[in-house]
Amino acid sequence: MLLIPCPYCGPRPEIEFRYAGQAHVARAADPSALSDAEWAQFLYLRDNPRGRHAERWRHTNGCGRFFNCIRDTLTDKIAATYRIGETPPDLAAGAEARR
Amino acid sequence: MPDQALRQRAPLEALARPGRFGATSAAAGVMLSEIRDRGLASVAARKNQRAALLAAAKSAFGCGLPTRPRRAFGRDGLSFVWAGPDQWVAMLDHGPVGGIEPRLAASLKGLASVVDQSDGRAVVRIGGARARAALAKGMPIDLHERAFTPGDAALTFFSHINVHIWQVDETPTYEIAVPRSFVGSFWHWLTEASAEFGYEATGSNSSA
Repeated sequence: MLLIPCPYCGPRPEIEFRYAGQAHVARAADPSALSDAEWAQFLYLRDNPRGRHAERWRHTNGCGRFFNCIRDTLTDKIAATYRIGETPPDLAAGAEARR
Repeated sequence: MPDQALRQRAPLEALARPGRFGATSAAAGVMLSEIRDRGLASVAARKNQRAALLAAAKSAFGCGLPTRPRRAFGRDGLSFVWAGPDQWVAMLDHGPVGGIEPRLAASLKGLASVVDQSDGRAVVRIGGARARAALAKGMPIDLHERAFTPGDAALTFFSHINVHIWQVDETPTYEIAVPRSFVGSFWHWLTEASAEFGYEATGSNSSA
């Protein structure tokens, strides 16, 4: 089981959380101006990296808040969690997981 | 019109039989009781009023609202438990029925939304040498004394029921707030989990 550091509650077991898809998928300011291909890209197409992936999680059985998380899809190691609206931490600089 | 007056009933009044249950080989490892004389209210900061709310609460109640999962004690039996970012549960010991909301609302007007929850939650007190072992059967968080100490609070679940737990003392004693409609299932689970340690149930417990 993963131990996920909720930015509000601290480290908690995975079963308290729900996965909520890829993070930082921005909705276009004017959706009607998009082509069908661009709209489909926004709606359906997601990254599928082998390695670090920025994703949203929700602490459903805790504080109830959404937050962002950088997880390695290969090792399941969580490199960082941060609040919605915060800038993703610069992991190249060796940032540690928030505790 | 029925000439029957409505009577206020505690959530566990019909369920929590007082007495000694479970294993009887040694002293009861778990003590269970329901706190029935405490007023509860939810407090949620209004938009952009967080700093003003924290300052107002400090001057009005004598304690800062905790900004991490903790419980803080104010004057006159009032305490606040963190219940999520910018949210708290306020509690008033020995409070008169319906007394907590007006008491908070006067000081926090315009800064926070205050809603009485006294009838919406049941508060169960769990103490004793084996309380931690009993709770570990249904709760995923780490309650070890290194990780969870008196004053610490958490929003989590117990046997799939969302609960709000905080530690009272090092016995260890905990208090758990449970949504009222779930308290029957919660009590069933809790008493089953406590049975192997032997538990003593008292119907009611004063909040102090």
